Amino acid sequence: MKRKLWHIFGPVACACVLVFAGLLLPLPLDKPSDAEVNRAATSLNQDVLLGQQMKGAAAARGYVPFIGSSELSRMDPFHPSVLAQKYHRGYKTLLLGGPGTQSLTQFVDNQNVYNKLKNKKAVVVISPQWFTKMGQRPDAFAYYYSPLELSGWLLAKRGGVADRYAARRILQMNNTTGLIHQCLLNVAAGQKLSTNQRFFLRLQHQLLRNEDRIFSRFNRTNNIKRIDDAAKKLPNTATDAQLDTLANKMGTQASRGNDFGIADNFFDKRLRGKRLTRLQGSQANFDYRRSPEYGDMELLLHEFAKNHTQVQFIIPPVNARWADFTGLPESMMYQTVAKIEQQLRAQNFTNILNMVPDGAKKNYMTDTIHLGWRGWVDVDKTVRPFLENQQPTPKYHLSNYYFSKKWQNKVVGAN
Amino acid sequence: MPSLQPYVNPRYFVILLVCLIPLIVGLLRGRRHRNYETLVSLVFIVLMFAGDKWHEGVALVVYVIWQLALVTGYAHYRKNNNAYWVYLTSLLAVILPLAIVKITPVFSVHPSILGFLGISYLSFKAIQTLMELRDGTIKAIDPLYFLRFLLFLPTISSGPIDRYRRFAKDYNNVPTQDEYLEMLRKGVRYLFQGFLYKFIIGYYLGTVWMPRVAHVALMQRSASGGTGITLALVAYMYIYSLYLFFDFAGYSLFAVAISQFMGINTPMNFNQPFKSKNIKDFWNRWHMSLSFWFRDFVFMRVTFFIMKHRWFKNRVRIAQTAYLINFLVMGFWHGVTWYYIVYGLFHACAIIINDMWLRWKKGKNLPSNRWANALAIFVTFNVVCFSFLIFSGFLNTMWFTHAIR
Repeated sequence: MKRKLWHIFGPVACACVLVFAGLLLPLPLDKPSDAEVNRAATSLNQDVLLGQQMKGAAAARGYVPFIGSSELSRMDPFHPSVLAQKYHRGYKTLLLGGPGTQSLTQFVDNQNVYNKLKNKKAVVVISPQWFTKMGQRPDAFAYYYSPLELSGWLLAKRGGVADRYAARRILQMNNTTGLIHQCLLNVAAGQKLSTNQRFFLRLQHQLLRNEDRIFSRFNRTNNIKRIDDAAKKLPNTATDAQLDTLANKMGTQASRGNDFGIADNFFDKRLRGKRLTRLQGSQANFDYRRSPEYGDMELLLHEFAKNHTQVQFIIPPVNARWADFTGLPESMMYQTVAKIEQQLRAQNFTNILNMVPDGAKKNYMTDTIHLGWRGWVDVDKTVRPFLENQQPTPKYHLSNYYFSKKWQNKVVGAN
Repeated sequence: MPSLQPYVNPRYFVILLVCLIPLIVGLLRGRRHRNYETLVSLVFIVLMFAGDKWHEGVALVVYVIWQLALVTGYAHYRKNNNAYWVYLTSLLAVILPLAIVKITPVFSVHPSILGFLGISYLSFKAIQTLMELRDGTIKAIDPLYFLRFLLFLPTISSGPIDRYRRFAKDYNNVPTQDEYLEMLRKGVRYLFQGFLYKFIIGYYLGTVWMPRVAHVALMQRSASGGTGITLALVAYMYIYSLYLFFDFAGYSLFAVAISQFMGINTPMNFNQPFKSKNIKDFWNRWHMSLSFWFRDFVFMRVTFFIMKHRWFKNRVRIAQTAYLINFLVMGFWHGVTWYYIVYGLFHACAIIINDMWLRWKKGKNLPSNRWANALAIFVTFNVVCFSFLIFSGFLNTMWFTHAIR
């Protein structure tokens, strides 16, 4: 009987051993090629954001992270990635974000990127739309949840206000389970992880890392062609003013079919007809001034400060005609930006491009809340000198006050 | 506490198989530890409906009490009496919960509170037992065995659909050591075949390719004069059909494999259905435990009913009517939506046409060779895939809903 049992289960046992050995041993896989990293950097693929290998390699090879959300996917000819490629700028873009990635997701998912930004630069697009009453949407957090990055974060020495705040917020997303959940509870309570927890966490981390190393090679989305096509529409050399004129022309051509200056393909697909009438006046009660997002943003600031990273912040506007139509209160928007700016400046993050007053400019927004054409040109006017010129070493002074409920609920700039 | 869904990830298999080790060792030594098996099953069923699915668990308990009372009650009654109205009332009462759950979505956006994962398959087993009691092929019901049959862990949420007599025979027996070793061998084989089907092929078809093809097809929904017929739609049809097979066949293989480990020969559910030469052949190979169930407990009974009441004299008409009723019932069982019902009608028509073709062909000297065979398989495959496109509900999405984003 033993012989027969071995014939049945022996191969299964061997297979299990081989698989787990393959996933648990530190594999000597070679590094991704430059072409692979290049493709991943602009792919906006979820696997790139959730993994370590590709975005880590890009950050280590000098790519500049552009951290944001859905606006990064609006790849018209004036998108930062297109301009950087076409005009052989001194930098390459690493796009990190997608619809629904807010500060907390960016904090968790980019742990291994922040470590590689010591004395380097980064660009962060902060959308006022993130600062809702609930902050980071739990479903979006679940969609972009990276157990790999989170277990890496947990394995480092944890304690202090920022770590405890982070653990609490992640727990509020109601998405973590098992070992990671237990460890988060420990950090949130200010306790150390037990030796046991650390051991299994390390095993799990190794397993996830090997998985990432093997599977991040099979990157399926590819924006290279989109970027190449967009670049073809640009002249070989151009001044900022010429770019602006061209952007104006392209924008006008692409948005003739509606009164909002919204790109027609977007408008026709998403807004035309009944949907539009339903949206009239629908945003009159929107309020971005009180939000846990302010605390979550502080987590990002802590990461940048720790690594002396120089950061250019961009705060994009809302399409003004759209804001009028939907009744989005202008004073609320200004108070929101004032609060964001205050939090940044008070801690000496001074490179801020506030575009909120520009929402009424022609051909500035590609749709309701996303930059396009001339908007991107304006971004470039700030980002290019910031990235190409040497910046003074920043001296950040952080304050834990910005994690507090008091700050999250405070209204700035009202009178 | 999160619920533990059957066969969704490797962890489930590991936990389940580890829990089954004492049972496996027992069977190797020629003993069936029925109490231990019941305990493990109970724990897993409780975990299945734990957490935010607790109300489904409550529904399951109420449902099981209801069916147990009906079936044992009828078995008791049937010993000495055999009135038609008692049988009919009991049968309707057995079907009632399933009917309510299936009809509720027509009237309400909320699913019925009576519903739980697997209600269809439990109902099939209960209906079958009741009908065979009436036939007299089942003489007596052991309430405990009936419960174990109804709640048999490997097949609880989806199937294959076993028969009470067959199950009870296996359950009362202990396989010899050689028989059991052979069962273990088959179990391992089916398990890994299932992994290949569901987690590799099914994953690529369903998670990787299908959403993309669906997206492209939806983008061109106004093509071909508003019908949306595009290459992408055709691709969707094939990908969905293959996905349906590999996902479900994988699931069924898991159920059969785990049954083998537990020393029960649960019947196979699929037998290379895409090799079918005609639509009848297809239903003898596709979701077999369901199609045989429908054959025995809907088609045959409708046929006898029609013959007894002499609706038609023509035997062809009888079969055709029975096919229509049989497949319509199946369509309605899948859900009360136009596409499930059309799917049922489509298959009824396909079988009727197939029968007509076979009758016409008889006596004619048509070539029967490799090429004719290949043509038959090709035609059948495409007819089946088209029926699955209807079944998928994708046409409903494409034609009758408006895309957001």
